[in-house]
Amino acid sequence: MHVGIILFLVILGSVLFHIFTPWYWTDIASNWGGMDDTITLTFWVGGGVFVAVCLFMIYCVFKFSYKENRRSEYKPEDKRLEKILTWATTLGVVALLAPGLMIWNQYVNVPKNAREVDVMAWQWGWQYRLPGEDGKLGTTKITNINDENPFGINPEDPFGKDDVMIQSDVLNLENNQPVKILLRSVDVLHNWYVPQFRAKMDAVPGIVTYYWFEPNKAGEYEVLCVEYCGVGHYAMRGTVIVQDNQEYENWLKEQETFSDLIANQENNIEINKKKLAKK
Amino acid sequence: MSDPKIEGLALKPGFKGMAEDTSSDQTMFKGVHWGKAMMWIFLLSDTFIFSCFLISYMKGRGSTPVEWPNPSEVFALDAFGVPVPLLLIAIMTFVLITSSGTMALAVKYGYEKNRKMCGWLVLATAIGGLTFVGMQAFEWSKLIHEGVRPWENPFGAAQFGSFFFMITGFHGTHVSIGVIFLFIYAYKVFAGHYDSGKRGWFTSMKGDYVEIEILGLYWHFVDLVWVFIFAFFYLW
Amino acid sequence: MSEDYNDNKTIQAQSSEAISGGGSVSPDLDYVRPAEIPDQDLYHGHSFLTKWVFCQDAKVIGVQYFLLATFTGIIGLILSWLMRLQLGFPGAAGFMTAEHYYQFVTMHGMIMVVYFLTALFLGGFGNFLIPLMVGARDMVFPYLNMVSFWSFFVAVAVLLASFFVPGGPTGAGWTLYPPQTILEGTPGSGWGILLMCISLILFVAGFTMGGLNYLITVLQARTRGMTLMRMPLTVWGIFTATVLAMLAFPALLVGALMMTLDKVLQTSFFMPTILKAGEVLEYGGGSPILFQHLFWFFGHPEVYIVALPAFGIVSDLISVHARKNIFGYRMMVWAIVGIGALSFFVWAHHMYVSGMNPWFGFFFATTTLIIAVPTAMKVYNWILTLWRGNIRMNVVMLWCLGFIITFVNGGITGIFLGNVSVDVPLSDTYFVIAHFHMVMGIAPLMVIMGAVYHWFPLVSGRFLDEKLGKWHFWLTFLGAYSIYFPMHYLGFIGVPRRYFEMYDSPYMTSAVGMNEFISTAAFIVGAAQFILIYNIIKTLKTGKPAGHNPWKANSLEWLTPKVPPEHGNWGERLPVVHRWPYDFSVPGAKEDFIPQTTPPSEVAHTEAEKT
Repeated sequence: MHVGIILFLVILGSVLFHIFTPWYWTDIASNWGGMDDTITLTFWVGGGVFVAVCLFMIYCVFKFSYKENRRSEYKPEDKRLEKILTWATTLGVVALLAPGLMIWNQYVNVPKNAREVDVMAWQWGWQYRLPGEDGKLGTTKITNINDENPFGINPEDPFGKDDVMIQSDVLNLENNQPVKILLRSVDVLHNWYVPQFRAKMDAVPGIVTYYWFEPNKAGEYEVLCVEYCGVGHYAMRGTVIVQDNQEYENWLKEQETFSDLIANQENNIEINKKKLAKK
Repeated sequence: MSDPKIEGLALKPGFKGMAEDTSSDQTMFKGVHWGKAMMWIFLLSDTFIFSCFLISYMKGRGSTPVEWPNPSEVFALDAFGVPVPLLLIAIMTFVLITSSGTMALAVKYGYEKNRKMCGWLVLATAIGGLTFVGMQAFEWSKLIHEGVRPWENPFGAAQFGSFFFMITGFHGTHVSIGVIFLFIYAYKVFAGHYDSGKRGWFTSMKGDYVEIEILGLYWHFVDLVWVFIFAFFYLW
Repeated sequence: MSEDYNDNKTIQAQSSEAISGGGSVSPDLDYVRPAEIPDQDLYHGHSFLTKWVFCQDAKVIGVQYFLLATFTGIIGLILSWLMRLQLGFPGAAGFMTAEHYYQFVTMHGMIMVVYFLTALFLGGFGNFLIPLMVGARDMVFPYLNMVSFWSFFVAVAVLLASFFVPGGPTGAGWTLYPPQTILEGTPGSGWGILLMCISLILFVAGFTMGGLNYLITVLQARTRGMTLMRMPLTVWGIFTATVLAMLAFPALLVGALMMTLDKVLQTSFFMPTILKAGEVLEYGGGSPILFQHLFWFFGHPEVYIVALPAFGIVSDLISVHARKNIFGYRMMVWAIVGIGALSFFVWAHHMYVSGMNPWFGFFFATTTLIIAVPTAMKVYNWILTLWRGNIRMNVVMLWCLGFIITFVNGGITGIFLGNVSVDVPLSDTYFVIAHFHMVMGIAPLMVIMGAVYHWFPLVSGRFLDEKLGKWHFWLTFLGAYSIYFPMHYLGFIGVPRRYFEMYDSPYMTSAVGMNEFISTAAFIVGAAQFILIYNIIKTLKTGKPAGHNPWKANSLEWLTPKVPPEHGNWGERLPVVHRWPYDFSVPGAKEDFIPQTTPPSEVAHTEAEKT
């Protein structure tokens, strides 16, 4: 008796926990509401099956507990019932899979107007690069990276000259503007993830991976590295600030481009040379 | 125990026969020695190992940014001053395949209880395998002499050396183990252990000529794998 | 030496010997085909060393596997306590640095999945039960079987040795993803990872020897009358899991070998050009994702290597203790085989956000959700077995009920993670941790515990204490459920896995209370396991004697002439099987069970199905 009651309380507790939980999604701040909807759908279908199966089991526990003089039913199989259950399950699975695949289709197809952002990861930090006025990012190479060229931009590539370089872990994004995140890593696996945006992808050294989203809520969000990358993994955080168009443009203007950086360095060299000459 | 003979059991051919054996009691492979069935399954598992190696090799070769070396130049051998591509490999392959032939004959004579012929043929197979390993050692040292290392090589992509040494090394280990067993078995044949059913030193199983066939399965497999390695490394 | 061996007995009696005078019953009813294989030649140990240490008896080897796996499992348990201490009460353990934390995470994962669960199910239960259940005298290659255990022993020794080498054990996460695994910045990237790879290679080698034994014993050494479709589902589960292991471990072996070479010889199989601390390393041109494919080609079947034996065993336990045949036996067998086959086509669902070609997502999401169908069928059949049964509410049944709840829960969350776009927000969060602990940690553990209570009378001849068992069950079940059920919601918040500490982010601070709760529950659940150890020690000497077939089961392992069974299992004569092992409560039969060896003529007037 008490077994059934405790098990019933476990199931009831699970349902109540789900209804009243204070721990749930952060408010979504991107276009991926479809993911949340699919989760909700899966919750209804899956949760329903879970509760139904467990309650059936608990009913059996109550109803068919051992009695000395009773015999079980002898029924090795029931083809009809098995068939019905198979098809019902298949149907349920298809119902869950279909929206999942549809959203994945959107996820892998980046809209044409998406603005590219080069996210460069290392142990343990981030920096970002945006295309300049030509709207194109210059090509890069890990072996080019040095103090004068922190992103390893190919110096011969004309597209790279006007790239905007943000040597900090704070990235600003324009509200309601799709972005294509291009991920690369110079050492090990990383993953650039903002829980409020829902989307994520690993940064893999040697290749460039991508994903896209459209922020739709201004604010400041924390970036987490969610692919284990060594002892500093848990401290590898960053920040994203989603701003409205005007603020964003103002911010963008203040950022340094690759040619600015080269010019500054050349200036510095000139100044140093002059200093030396004076001595 | 040798292959058990089952009184009054006629094997039916085709799918129907297979289904019947599968649904029968006691054994699935009728009249097949346990050790032989074991070797087949082990070889299936081993096939997966070599497949993983070769698929990794294809993936590695396909995605390296530096160009892959040209095998017919790297593996060429000077014969009378003329570089002949794949000369050594051709001889190695020939030797190994010949040893498969002698192995098959050894199995035949084993079942005929022809102790002498069986013993000599097992010995011949062992010597063939040893020759193969020797030539492979020669090839390795030649390549090492030319500067090929697991981590680099002067001809192109570093992965060439890595995969070459790893996969041929793994295969060479298989051949070497086979050679050791062939010598042991040759001794056992000559000493008559398979005629008297003398128990083995380690496993304490009774000796039987079926063991020659089991070793033969392994040997043919090692041969077959070599053909694939040959095709993927030397001809691609 | 010859007295050490059985003489090769002559092939057993030509036709069924047990023909009772059943009046009108035709003697042909009891006909079983004559023996196809001669009786097995066994080596009987005669010294302590050959009887208990380097023993060739599968039952002893099974117990050896069981004990060693349990020992490593307890180490894994202690590591999990240390992790939970850090997560629930950061800084409470003064020595806990991030390096230690990651080393504990890694070793806990690897130990529990490979050295505990796999070894316990296949090495432990497989060795003990397969020969008994199919009616063989022993495994077909007893010597190889013995070597298999000792390889496992060396593998465990090498694994544990890594705690004592400079730099400590590897802290790369149990998935060992390169490049970080072998680069500085990951703890134990020197000796630790090397020993891990060596230990894995040894484990695979040892397992292969054992696996060949299990397969050939099932395929070629069954007793007369034992068809494949008369085998208990336990054997089906272990058999299929072994097939998976034989085909999946090669990928792990190759991955570990290539990783070792990357570490030791500076090859670049998995290593692209890497810039570290301002310097370009001597690697270049390799593919990190290749390792992930190799790892998960092993890793996903590995999940089923653990799950399928659990499925099989729980089916038998439920059937015996509900006094009812397993519902839809054939469906169950095909589901096991189908799940096993499909498990080779779903591996990349662990890699949806790994940076592989995103188009793979469509294929692997579909195959993954297809696998949900046979799995669901198994769940339906378990609960339909309870339906109109006569359920004994003993400890064994409690563990089975606990298994069904945790397994269904974990299976449903699997549908979240398998469905590619739902996986995107949830992967690498605590949702994943909760999911896989529920479905392949707690659920199989429930089965192991149930199996221990069920078969302990066979191994030792005595019952375990029921009262202690009930404490053990309720503490474990309720505790484990309250660890992992709320943990899913941490994942929804977005708390990432493998974080040493995380309490400075606004939405994570809300989880502090929950983490404290989870940790406390984890300490209790861990401690509760020692009740079982106490129970075993206590009842080994003083427990209630079990006698023959105490559960009134049908399968062969309970029908040995002696309890516990001796070496050779069956005494003079091998059993002859006439029916499936699930003839419970057959209408018309005197008792509510008909053992597999009962010839049809003895129960002629029952309605037992022809199986």
